[in-house]
Amino acid sequence: MSDDTFMGVPREKIPWYPTIDYSKCDFCMECDKFCPHRVYERREGDPKLVVANPTNCVVFCRACAKTCGPDALSFPGKPQTIELIKRLREEGDDG
Amino acid sequence: MAERFAVLPCNGLDKAVGPLAREIALMVVEACQGELICPVLYNNIPARYAQALELPLIVIDGCGTRCASKLAGEHGLKTVRKLQVAEALKLMGESAGESLTPDAQRLALCRLLAERLLSAPDEGTTLGSGADFAEPVEYATVTHDKFIFRIPTQGYLFNENHCWARLAGNRARVGISDYMQQELGDLTFCELPQMGVEVGQFDAVGSVESVKAVSDIISPVSGRVMAVNPAVAETPELINEDPYVRGWVAELELQDLEGDRALLLDGPAYLEFVRRKAADYRP
Repeated sequence: MSDDTFMGVPREKIPWYPTIDYSKCDFCMECDKFCPHRVYERREGDPKLVVANPTNCVVFCRACAKTCGPDALSFPGKPQTIELIKRLREEGDDG
Repeated sequence: MAERFAVLPCNGLDKAVGPLAREIALMVVEACQGELICPVLYNNIPARYAQALELPLIVIDGCGTRCASKLAGEHGLKTVRKLQVAEALKLMGESAGESLTPDAQRLALCRLLAERLLSAPDEGTTLGSGADFAEPVEYATVTHDKFIFRIPTQGYLFNENHCWARLAGNRARVGISDYMQQELGDLTFCELPQMGVEVGQFDAVGSVESVKAVSDIISPVSGRVMAVNPAVAETPELINEDPYVRGWVAELELQDLEGDRALLLDGPAYLEFVRRKAADYRP
């Protein structure tokens, strides 16, 4: 599937996905209702919400964080991610 | 006498950022002798504010939930300036803190943000000389089943988030591709970026919402927002109809095009990318 790479880099090598701060999350599930890529998954046990499919997350998209009232979602730094992608692309060219 | 405004703020009194939005709203209203709109009362009895809303409208959102913006959108109000306090504080390296009662330092930040709002350019105005985007656009197409995706052959750069930048001099207009608008379906809402803000490459430069999903518009290029397209905020369907020309979202003054270019696709390369995507396209 073409979703396996982003900008020529294997998607699983790019650590871009939300992290839930469980000390802030109130499990309103707005992020899960919002995300069309099924990054989140609701669970019966504790915690009731997890980042189940991190590589489904669209690199550089942070739209779900805007739905989060308690500001419990964070993403990696964008400049660091760009640097990483550049480096991995160069390594890919060398290999 | 300064221009008068109506101000519709967030009412998030249960979060630290809400009272800051309220303070900023009060400061703006006081400074311009404007009108304050209570979002709760407006939601219940919109007619109460009919007269106040004849003034140009400033919307102040506290957090990313953007309740005030959404309320304005639901009632078809035209916003000339807006502020999202949590985001603005983050850009300044500050935060709203935990307390529901703003301290002196945060009130000073509120004062600064209120002054900025009053001196900001209106949406729909253009900062500096606009570049010429009148050149006709030629398209190539990718066909998959009954779907046809158009891609401009030249003058545009793309990222793999299906957003484009159209170049003219030291300016670029940005928007979403034909593929993305078809994937989202009929658009119901387009959020424009704030005028004058600096946008980094791959930062969100607004968002689009359809009956199916909401998506950030990820800017292919870095630069300062010099103009926004009020037409797509009023009529988001314009992006469905004409994503590459009339459906532009924002115009940026380019900051580092050569640096940005290394991570972008030109028309023919994006066409190949769409061809691969289209193979597993499910609308």
